[in-house]
Amino acid sequence: MIPFEFFLVLAAILFVIGAYGVMTKSNAIIVLMCIELMLNAANINFVAFGAYNSDVMGQAFVVMSISVAAAEVAVGIAILLNAYKLRKTTELTDAELTSLRW
Amino acid sequence: MDFTSIFGDYTAIAPMIILLIGALVAPGVHLLGKKRTATWGFALAVVIVSMVINVLMLVDGWTGSTLGMVYYTDYSGLMMLLFQIVLFLAVVVSNASVETTRFNVGAYYALLMAASTGMMFVAGSQDLMMIFVGVELTSISSYAAVSMKRNDARAAEAAVKYVIIGGMSTALTLYGISMLYGLTGTTNIAAIAATTSITGISFVFGIALVAMIAGYGFKIAAVPFHMWAPDVYEGAATPVSLFLATGSKKMGLSVFFQIFLIMFVSGTACAKIAGPEVQYLFAIIAAVTMTVGNIVAIAQNNIKRMLAYSSIAQAGYILIVMAVMSEYALSAGLFHMFTHVFMKGGAFLVVGALICAGIGEKISDYRGLAKRAPFMAAAMMLFLFSLAGIPPLAGFTSKFFLFSSTMGVGTAAGISLESQWIWLAFVAILNSAISLYYYARVVKTMYVDTGESAERIKVPAAFTVAIAICLVAVVVLGVYPQLIFDLCETASHALLFA
Repeated sequence: MIPFEFFLVLAAILFVIGAYGVMTKSNAIIVLMCIELMLNAANINFVAFGAYNSDVMGQAFVVMSISVAAAEVAVGIAILLNAYKLRKTTELTDAELTSLRW
Repeated sequence: MDFTSIFGDYTAIAPMIILLIGALVAPGVHLLGKKRTATWGFALAVVIVSMVINVLMLVDGWTGSTLGMVYYTDYSGLMMLLFQIVLFLAVVVSNASVETTRFNVGAYYALLMAASTGMMFVAGSQDLMMIFVGVELTSISSYAAVSMKRNDARAAEAAVKYVIIGGMSTALTLYGISMLYGLTGTTNIAAIAATTSITGISFVFGIALVAMIAGYGFKIAAVPFHMWAPDVYEGAATPVSLFLATGSKKMGLSVFFQIFLIMFVSGTACAKIAGPEVQYLFAIIAAVTMTVGNIVAIAQNNIKRMLAYSSIAQAGYILIVMAVMSEYALSAGLFHMFTHVFMKGGAFLVVGALICAGIGEKISDYRGLAKRAPFMAAAMMLFLFSLAGIPPLAGFTSKFFLFSSTMGVGTAAGISLESQWIWLAFVAILNSAISLYYYARVVKTMYVDTGESAERIKVPAAFTVAIAICLVAVVVLGVYPQLIFDLCETASHALLFA
């Protein structure tokens, strides 16, 4: 049987890759994909904990969080499309789109 | 009244079900009638029906649960009432406002109603899964509601920021919840509290706690997770900004109360749990949040951005509850949440009304407003003075309760609290003094400065009605706080010692 720690380490690595991508990438689509990566890292945790504790709650939570993530990406892409129509770019490096002003 | 015979097993979620049905039907009503006003009337009727049922259940003291998932207690009933008031204020003015969308009106009301349904589910849940799903229902609906101000570059930009930062906070929260689930094997908050009070805290618990505080800290815009709030409130249509600043933020605070207060207050019965460290963590977040919010607000020229920073500061005041962790502090915090809805909501309503009348969002646009719109100027002055905490307005009373809760007047789980949080009250009072500066600046612009034009302006009647409601609430709750405060006391007792 695969040792339990392997799952946690995999999830932690995925989460960190996702967080790194959100903070450094300039394309909004890639940023959304990185957010998905972070969510899936948490899902791996849930499935692993559920399986090793013989508890269904972990799996049930994953079903919920997958549907939430799908809805979030659908709305996110729609919002990006709206922004694209007005600005003709999905790059976040566009000065006005990135700057979180004081 | 016997509610169970009317709604059966669904009594605990009856207010939400009605809103949810309204949200599903509203787009259809718009497609059939093609009349904006008819859709507005339908949405308003649904909101009022849901509100009446909730008020009746709350006054009746009905408690119970649906499927053991959603609980209607004194606490959740009161929070639902708060979210319904916010929704009511936002819906009342949406038809008259020139900023809201003209085309997909049905979808617009559906989004607002779905968002408040999510908030109400959060208020009624005692399980991390329900809280997570409720928060996401609210967040995803609000992302779409922000971007519904079509053909406006600022709104599009605000929505992109909101969805990306919101998504990141969701991921952080989910990771934290997964760690907590792995540690305790359950997602029920009371069961988690019971388990951690036996096992004590561990490194994994620390990771879970930090991830969840950060994730939900984004929702309440606590410093250092506040950067999105001013941009989003500025970019969104004013009714939506009102909805986010007063409703969405209160949902985040309610999540804090429901998760962390239950976990630590019922956990401190056992000395193993690290209560003081967590309290200090929240105290520092509260102090930094109110200070940064107030100081940065001084530099703002746009009134919506100024109000956004001021609501960041107000969230800092309410976070005092998380530091003090006593029953009295929680009642004071709930009461401040109510008064904040009326005063901040009222201020946003005045801004929205003036935008409809063709006056801009810059503070300098308000020159000589007292001559041009005496009622609007007077209402704005009262709301701002109430936010600053000047007696006899509601803001003074609620701040007084909140700050006095730091003086060791309460007990938590039978242990009398030391007055170790007095410094927090000092910070909060200094901050109130700072905030008076930028509020008084707006009042001076309206009353002392003279503008180029002196002609009278006309604002839509719906705005006048909504502002009048807020005004009455701000004055009455200031003079007669027992009206809501008694309910807040029962609610906080129900949350902590049920």
